[in-house]
Amino acid sequence: MKRTLLAACAATLLLATSACGLGSESTGSEGPVSRVPELKPDQKVSIVFESYNFGQAGAWTDTFNELIAAFEKQHPNISVTAQKPQGNSANPATDTISSLQSQLTAGSPPDVVQLGFSDLDFTVNQLKALPLDDLVGKDAVQANFDGEQYPYAESARTLGDWNGKTYGVPFVFSTPMLYYNKQLFTQAGLDPENPPATWAEVRDAAKTIQQRTGKGGAYVDCLTKAAKDWCFQALVRSNGGRVLSEDRSTLTFAEEPSVEVVRVMQDMVKAGAMPNRTQMQAVESFARGDLGMILESSAIQGTFLKGAGDRWELGAAAMPSFDGKQAVPTNSGAALFVFSKDAAKQRAAWELIRFLTSERAYTTIATKIGYLPLRTGLVDDPDGLKQWAGENPYLEPNLKQLEHLEPWVSMPGANYLQIRDGMMQAVENAVYQGADPAESLRSVQEEATGLMQGGGK
Amino acid sequence: MVSGTFVEVAAPARNREAGTAGTAPASRESGWSRIRRLAPPYLYLVPAVVLLVVWTYQPLAQTFVLSTYSWNLVPSTPMVDVGLGNYERLLGTPELGRAVWRTVVVILGMLPFTVVIPVAVALLTRRVRGRAQGVYRALVFAPMLVAPVAGAAVWQWLLDPSAGAVNRVLGTDVNWLNTASTAQWSIIVITGWHVVGFAVLVVTAGLAGINPDYAAAAQVDGASRSQVTRWVTLPLLSPTLAFLALMTVLLSAQWTFPLIDTLTQGGPVSSTTNLYYLLWEYGFRSHDAGLAAAAGVLFFLGFIVVAALLTRLAARLSHHDD
Repeated sequence: MKRTLLAACAATLLLATSACGLGSESTGSEGPVSRVPELKPDQKVSIVFESYNFGQAGAWTDTFNELIAAFEKQHPNISVTAQKPQGNSANPATDTISSLQSQLTAGSPPDVVQLGFSDLDFTVNQLKALPLDDLVGKDAVQANFDGEQYPYAESARTLGDWNGKTYGVPFVFSTPMLYYNKQLFTQAGLDPENPPATWAEVRDAAKTIQQRTGKGGAYVDCLTKAAKDWCFQALVRSNGGRVLSEDRSTLTFAEEPSVEVVRVMQDMVKAGAMPNRTQMQAVESFARGDLGMILESSAIQGTFLKGAGDRWELGAAAMPSFDGKQAVPTNSGAALFVFSKDAAKQRAAWELIRFLTSERAYTTIATKIGYLPLRTGLVDDPDGLKQWAGENPYLEPNLKQLEHLEPWVSMPGANYLQIRDGMMQAVENAVYQGADPAESLRSVQEEATGLMQGGGK
Repeated sequence: MVSGTFVEVAAPARNREAGTAGTAPASRESGWSRIRRLAPPYLYLVPAVVLLVVWTYQPLAQTFVLSTYSWNLVPSTPMVDVGLGNYERLLGTPELGRAVWRTVVVILGMLPFTVVIPVAVALLTRRVRGRAQGVYRALVFAPMLVAPVAGAAVWQWLLDPSAGAVNRVLGTDVNWLNTASTAQWSIIVITGWHVVGFAVLVVTAGLAGINPDYAAAAQVDGASRSQVTRWVTLPLLSPTLAFLALMTVLLSAQWTFPLIDTLTQGGPVSSTTNLYYLLWEYGFRSHDAGLAAAAGVLFFLGFIVVAALLTRLAARLSHHDD
């Protein structure tokens, strides 16, 4: 009797407390975002800047700390706390969304967040990044793109836009570059000044390197789930296909152009021209000099140069094409978004974004990390990057690719990660584990289409 | 899911009831004094129960509630009631069945490390006398003190396909962590290396609890050392072994989690995605809170059944030194 009474009490307590604290059941309707006032001269604000660059020691963290210090000097009333995303992935860039999400759940999001373009749909539509056009005015946003002296590259300006509104300011990105080891090329009897320009040539060169030097041939860093799909999209676009239809309504990654791309890559693995490596293993082994070629973002260039040292020489070429077709590079990287709730912090956040995308900041970022200076005019400025560009032979192919640049498309809907991961897993399964490309892509596309049409959440 | 341990508390003895029974018949007792008489044991329990409710049962109840909603963990997004939709979706994915099978493989693969090797090591170190015994035990226990993630980093270097020590010793060029057929076994061996010290400690404690008189008596009767081990020591050790087996079944998949997260992220091609990693991926990678909660509820119920079966089995098979 007493026992049942106690149990009943406990049960009521549980039910009473369990419903609360999980999240709202009402639609999170927000009013239109209003224009934020300028900061008063004596107004002190502190903001938090979350960037995955702080999760990578060495050049990345140092460069960003340097920039933040310069910003605080320029804006003595704004203090910036820099933090890396919460989580412990080997690649902190994969923790960005989950970290932001848990902070949003807790009610205190960071003010400025650096998020990948692959998350754009989710960032705008689910996480509700603030539209900068409303926050500071379209004029101010465009004026920032135009810059004090050098405007953004035309193809880069709209990468953070959604339905004609700017939500994120494109910040750091690269196009896919074919880095190669000149010493291994020479050892294998290949011409180090004449890198392969098509995938067929890559395959032959890789095989030659593998056979004559015993080292790995070529690695394409966008065929695994961990690597995400940015340069896989470039490969598919270069072969005349798309992973998602232009109106964002249909998944098309199981169509012939994609299947063919996967088959070409699978053949390289089967022929021993591409070793089975994880992203991290491949980057490390290329830096060590154990791999002939790697298709990679210029963000890793610093690591490669450091690994090369005096022992071998790094070469860089544009992304190879498929026979007779124009190569279509896509951008990697991230844009800066604002999530602050407080007007003063929103204004301070915009000031930080303006500083980080200024001519001065790009000069630092390009020279110290290797990311593209999105204000491309800087490379012709003797006070800017001219000297550095002259000494840095790796920049030119990357800059040139901006002409044909197409955006890295984010997958649609709340289940976008499941779709993207599913697609990349199918690619990985075919390329490295020998599954049939057409079949594995098709089955995943079917499953993912279900997720897109509200079959999921 | 359930990581806490439950401690069985004996029912409070009702001394006062017995003491006062003669003076005041229960029927004539007023309500207030009745409460005062019965309340103390419950009052003593309240702090513990409140903590248990707040930290264990309330989240559990919330998980049940959450499993009937569709929600992506963003506070501004509404939670949509989908009834049993999440369960249907979960049971409809082929991934779940595969994850269950991989979890079984992990458990079976872990048993040698948590039962067989520890018994052998504990029996052998028992023969070593003096300070050396402590040294041996410390050596075996040391991996347990290494943080899983730090251990994982070292293993990553050892297993590196081109420069790793393992390949050099074996003369192979296998990419252990990135080949579907070897990744799972690599994870099992690394996890085993990590927990074997703990298991040895438990077995050693079990051996210390066995009265040496039994062995002495058997030896007087002419039993050889191996006969003593087989017919006296091992049967008396069986409750300890049953405990270890139960721990292995219930916790193996959790022990592997930090290693999977650092070394393979569930890959290559899901070959190391066991139940817990799958649940984590649903919840914190795909942000599908409802689906993850539904998976959590199913695993919770499943493991209750498994735990009940195992405890019953253990009770039947174990010899107790009563």
